[in-house]
Amino acid sequence: MSTAPAGAPTGASAAARSARIEAMVFVGLLVVLAIAVLISTTTIREPPGSTNTLGARVVPYAVGGLLLLSSLVVLVGQLRGRFGHAEEGEDIDLEHGTSWGSTGIVVLSFLSLMLTIPHLGWPLGVAILFTGASLALGAKRWWLAAAIGLALGVVTQLVFGTLLGLSLPATGTLTSWIGL
Amino acid sequence: MDTWTLLLEGFATALQPVYLLYALLGVLLGTAVGVLPGIGPAMTVALLLPITYALEPTAAFIVFAGIYYGGMYGGSTTSILLNTPGESASIVTALEGNKMARAGRGAAALATAAIGSFVAGTIATVLLTLLAPTVARLAVSLGPSDYFALMVIAFLTVGALLGDSAWRGMVSLSIGLFIGLIGVDSLTGQARFTLGIPQLGDGIDVVLVAVGLFALGEALYVGSRLRNGEIPIIPITRGWRTWMRRSDWARSWKPWLRGAGIGFPIGSIPAGGADVATFLSYATERSLAKGEYRKQFGKGAIEGVAGPESANNAAAAGVLVPLLTLGIPTTATAAIILSAFQTYGIQPGPRLFDTQPALVWALIASLFIGNAMLLVLNLPLVGMWVKLLQIPRPYLYAGILVFAGLGAYAANFTVFDIAVLLVLGVLGFFMRRLGFPIAPLVVGAILGPMAEEQLRKAMQIGQGDPAYLVHSPFSIVAYALLALIIALALWLKRRRARFEAALPSIDTTTIAAVDEEIESHEPHPELDRGRLSTRAVPLQRGGADPDAEPGPGRDPDRDRDA
Repeated sequence: MSTAPAGAPTGASAAARSARIEAMVFVGLLVVLAIAVLISTTTIREPPGSTNTLGARVVPYAVGGLLLLSSLVVLVGQLRGRFGHAEEGEDIDLEHGTSWGSTGIVVLSFLSLMLTIPHLGWPLGVAILFTGASLALGAKRWWLAAAIGLALGVVTQLVFGTLLGLSLPATGTLTSWIGL
Repeated sequence: MDTWTLLLEGFATALQPVYLLYALLGVLLGTAVGVLPGIGPAMTVALLLPITYALEPTAAFIVFAGIYYGGMYGGSTTSILLNTPGESASIVTALEGNKMARAGRGAAALATAAIGSFVAGTIATVLLTLLAPTVARLAVSLGPSDYFALMVIAFLTVGALLGDSAWRGMVSLSIGLFIGLIGVDSLTGQARFTLGIPQLGDGIDVVLVAVGLFALGEALYVGSRLRNGEIPIIPITRGWRTWMRRSDWARSWKPWLRGAGIGFPIGSIPAGGADVATFLSYATERSLAKGEYRKQFGKGAIEGVAGPESANNAAAAGVLVPLLTLGIPTTATAAIILSAFQTYGIQPGPRLFDTQPALVWALIASLFIGNAMLLVLNLPLVGMWVKLLQIPRPYLYAGILVFAGLGAYAANFTVFDIAVLLVLGVLGFFMRRLGFPIAPLVVGAILGPMAEEQLRKAMQIGQGDPAYLVHSPFSIVAYALLALIIALALWLKRRRARFEAALPSIDTTTIAAVDEEIESHEPHPELDRGRLSTRAVPLQRGGADPDAEPGPGRDPDRDRDA
C-alpha cells in the first residue's frame, strides 16, 4: 500500500530542503558522538594487573566503531539522496508541516515536572503538565483540561501512591500547608 | 513432573480469582492500547513498568502477558476500521481488512481477525508449552560463547530488518548499545561515559530508555504533526453472530491454521518479528487462492485478513520461546518484559523453568486464559473498543505524558530522571522524524550489557583467544544461520516494498461489486449480511444523535442499497 498521501514527501527528490538539512545535521551529530565515544574510551582507566582478559575498553571501542561506521554509511547515503521516511501512523498528518510551537510547549510542560514535583507535589504537577500539554495539542476548553488533569493527578496519587505504595509526594515544599 | 502436571498447577494458580482479575486487567489494557492509535504494546508495557515496584512477580507478569496478547488483537481493529495507514505489524491486515470495511464487510473482517487470532494464539501457546521446556533443557548446556552468538543474532536481525534500511537500524542499535554502556562497569568498577555525574553511575535505567523512546518520543512526535479534524471511522453492523457468512468461514479456517503454522516458527527465531510473518502469510494466501478469490486480493479478500492476523498472534507467542528459555528478546516488547524480569532479580533463561516453575507455568496458563478472554472482548464487545477511537487526541497524548512522567519518576524518585527521560524522548522524536527505527535501540540498551558480560566470560574461559567464540558447533551453526536469515529477510523485505509500491488504489464500488459477484456464485448466497449500518457507531464525536442507535439484532438500513 502506498501509504504516503499524494503531495507528501515520498522520497529524496520531493523531500523538503529543511527536512534534508535536519537529517544531515542529525546524522552529523551522530558522527560527532561516535568520535567522542571513541576518544573518551581511551580515558577509561584499565586497572593494572586486572585478571580480565577483556578489559573495560574493548566493548566501548567496538560500539563506538559500529556507531561511526553506520552513521557514516547513512551520511553518505543521504549525500546521494537516500533519506529516511518519517514514521507514519493513524494520528499523524505528514501532509502538513510540523507545529514546532506546540511541540515546544509540550516539552516545557513535561520539564515543569522537575520543579512541580518537589515544590507542589505530584497531583498538582500532573494537573499542570496535563493542562499545558493538552492545550498545546489543541484542546478547546482550558477548564475541562485542568479538571481532567487534576482528576488524573489525584487518581494516580491514590492508585500508585496509596494503593501500590510508591512514594509519590502528595504535597511539595510550597504546598505542605495543605496538610494531607 | 511432566509438562502437563506443571501446566495444570499453573492453571490452578492463574485461575485464582485475584489472578483472573489481573489477567482481565491486562487484556483490557492491552486491547485498549492496541486499539488506540499511536500506542503499541511496547509503549504500554514500558508505561506500566512502575507496577513492578509494587506488585508481586506472578501478578505483574500475568498483567504483562495480557497486555502483550491484547495489543495484538486491538491493533487489527484499528487498521480495519480507520482509513489511515497503521502500524507495520498490522499493515497487511489493513491492506485487505480496510478494503472489506469500505465495502461494508468490516464486521466480517473484524470477526475473522478475532477468531483467527484466538485459534492461532491458542495453537501457538500449546506449541510454546510443548517446546519451551525442551528448549530450556537443551539450552542448559550452552556456554557463554553460545549465548554471545545468540545475542549477536538478536542484535543484527533486529537492527538490520527493521526500518527503512539496514544501516539506519545499525545506527539505532549502536546508540542503544552506547546507552547500555553508560555507568560503572560491573567487572572492573570503572566509570564509563558518566561525565562525572554521580546519578549516571548506576547507568541509565531501562525504564527510562523504554518510556523515553516509546512513550515520550511518540507523544512528542504525534503531537508535532497531529492530524486535524476527525478521522473517519468506518461503521460496522450490529449483531456479531451473523458477522461471518457461511462462505467466510469456509474461506477463513485454512488461512487461520496456515497463519499459525507460519507465525510461530518465525516468531521464535529472531527474524524481525511479526512483520515478516504477516507478510509471508499474506503472500502464501494470495498464491494459494484460486480463481475469482485470487482476483479479490487487493479488493478485500477475507483470506488476506484471516491469515496475517493469525500469523501475527502466533508470532507473538513464538517470541516468548527464546525470551523464556534463553533470555533473548527478539522484539522491543520482549526486551522490555525481560527488563521487568530483571527488576525482580529473575533472569530468564534455561534455569528459569527449574528455579521459578510456579511463575513460568502460571504465566503460560494465563496466556491461555487471556486468549479466551480476548475472544469475548473482541467479538461481542468490539463496539466498546471502537468508541475508544473517538477519545479526543489532545487528552490522549497529554495522558500518555502523565504516565511517562510517572514511570520516570517512580524509577528512582529523583527529578534528575525526568531530565534524562526528556533527552531520550527528544532523541526518539528526531529518530521518528528522520526514519530511524526505535526498536533496535531499546533491544541494544537492554541486551547490550548482558552481551558484554557473556563476551567477557567467554574470553576469560578461552584465555583471550577470540577463536574461542566460534569453537562450539552451536555457535558456528548460529553464525551461519544469522547470515542466512538476514539474506532471506532482506530479500523478503525488498519484495514486500516493491509489492506495496505497486498496489493500485481501488474505489469502494469496485470492491463491493467484486464481493457481490463472488458471493452470488456461492451455494448459499447471503448477500445482505454485513451491510453497512451507518448508525452502529456515531461517525463524529458529539455530532451524531445518540437516540439514533438501532435496536439490537435488526438493522433498519439493511435493505437500503440492496
